[in-house]
Amino acid sequence: MRRIYESEALHRDDEDAFSPSEDERSGRLQSFRWINASLFSRLLVPHRLRSWAVSVRIETPREEYPVGTAVPFRITMKNALPIPISIRTASPLLWTWTVDGYPEASHVPVYRPPETTGAFRFDRGEHKRFSKRWRGFFRVSETEWERAGPGTYRIGVELNVPNAAGKGLSDETTVRIVPESLRG
Amino acid sequence: MALLEVEDLTVEFYTEDGVVTAADGLSYQIERGEKFGVVGESGAGKSVTALSLMRLIDSPGRIVEGAIRFKGEDVLQMTEAEVRSIRGNEMAMVFQDAQTALNPVYTVGEQIAEAIRHHLGYGDDEAREETIRLLDTVGIPEAEARYSDYPHEFSGGMQQRAVIAMALSCDPDLLICDEPTTALDVTIEAKILDLIEELADEFDTAVQLITHDLGVIAQVCDRVMVMYAGKPVEKAPVEELYYDPKHPYTVGLMSSIPRVGDTRTRLQTIPGTMPDLVELPPGCSFHPRCPYAEEACTLEEPPLLDPETGRPVGSDPTVEHSAACLEYTGALAEGLTYEIDVVDGPEGPQTPQAEGN
Repeated sequence: MRRIYESEALHRDDEDAFSPSEDERSGRLQSFRWINASLFSRLLVPHRLRSWAVSVRIETPREEYPVGTAVPFRITMKNALPIPISIRTASPLLWTWTVDGYPEASHVPVYRPPETTGAFRFDRGEHKRFSKRWRGFFRVSETEWERAGPGTYRIGVELNVPNAAGKGLSDETTVRIVPESLRG
Repeated sequence: MALLEVEDLTVEFYTEDGVVTAADGLSYQIERGEKFGVVGESGAGKSVTALSLMRLIDSPGRIVEGAIRFKGEDVLQMTEAEVRSIRGNEMAMVFQDAQTALNPVYTVGEQIAEAIRHHLGYGDDEAREETIRLLDTVGIPEAEARYSDYPHEFSGGMQQRAVIAMALSCDPDLLICDEPTTALDVTIEAKILDLIEELADEFDTAVQLITHDLGVIAQVCDRVMVMYAGKPVEKAPVEELYYDPKHPYTVGLMSSIPRVGDTRTRLQTIPGTMPDLVELPPGCSFHPRCPYAEEACTLEEPPLLDPETGRPVGSDPTVEHSAACLEYTGALAEGLTYEIDVVDGPEGPQTPQAEGN
């Protein structure tokens, strides 16, 4: 029995406990569902074309944030071709975001993906959008974090493929973290 | 040797949105005949932990680290045939969603009888008789007539009881109950809980009981593990957890239990919601909702600690009560300022009530 709190139909918080959810449906596009994208892509689309077809972009609403504020960013991945595309990734971890080159702002490995390849599937013309936040901390060990001080930081995104930058499957942007008193 | 030993179990789901760490470094043991409770909100990783024990985690989930030893043998190293021979036989599970757990195109009786024939080698007639006896035991009226009913002909509560009958069918050594009484009314709930207890006591069956309901835990379990965001935050014998909770999350859960005679007009809740497991906050995962959180809580994630000594307990089985809160390392300046009131009622001590100051 599917219960109401599993349906994601409601958004709950302390102020308005039972308002309709504003989350966008995350279901995949219904068109071309009868095509096995991985097989189609593997058999008919050359690797170079697959990398060329997919573009990756990262953006932040502002360029400057005070210390201690989370930095929101939006990642958009787009398949420019009118056919489904599947990109083979080095592991089931399909993509990652980085801060100054550190995956998920961590100096220690966060995940232990198995040593099997994965497949990142895009339907024809599909836009994938992910909203994330960097909370302004760096993880420095398994159990410890440090607050990022004022300065400029590079927030990047890349698909988990060898030489993602060379294949155009990565992007980055910079943000400035400023002391609270300089907040403009 | 404990019946079940879970060591550093980590389960990750690789989704397009990111990696969900549904269970993160879980360690616990269950002895023969012991009733072990796992409690927490939806999304805390309770069900994933249970499914991992039977190696039922589906793609995109992976058990990426840890060991699960059942009777000394590592379940994660077994072949599929070996796992199948213990699954449903020595280790059985009562699933929380009975309607999904039952196959709609087979009769309820046949589904239970199939397990009995497969694991115990019974003939058709014997398996049918045993199935009817089990259906009767779990409170299905006219069990013989209902043997041939399909799942859609059963009510939600009856479906749940049929799934319980299926799990009990092979007298398992370990019964994993994933919210077994959520869909049932209180009278049937009490009956099912009595049945589970009876089974544990008579046949030395160990029970891992997963629930939201702290009342159910209090009634049935010997020891409890409280989970939050995929991690254990407190482990304790059931009485200690109720009368002397050490983690603010446990205290919050206790405070949110409604009580007869309570004069408050609104139920106390834990503010906020469980964090997105794709994007956990730094430090202690509970700190954004914790009324006692300080700067230190955002910078360090404590492991399970012995509240007396402040030392990490690791897998030391001699420490019975442990909690993952920086309070016990002395890192909190203000400390935890809640009080526990145990109100004596006419039938002895009632559920304790925690109040933050």
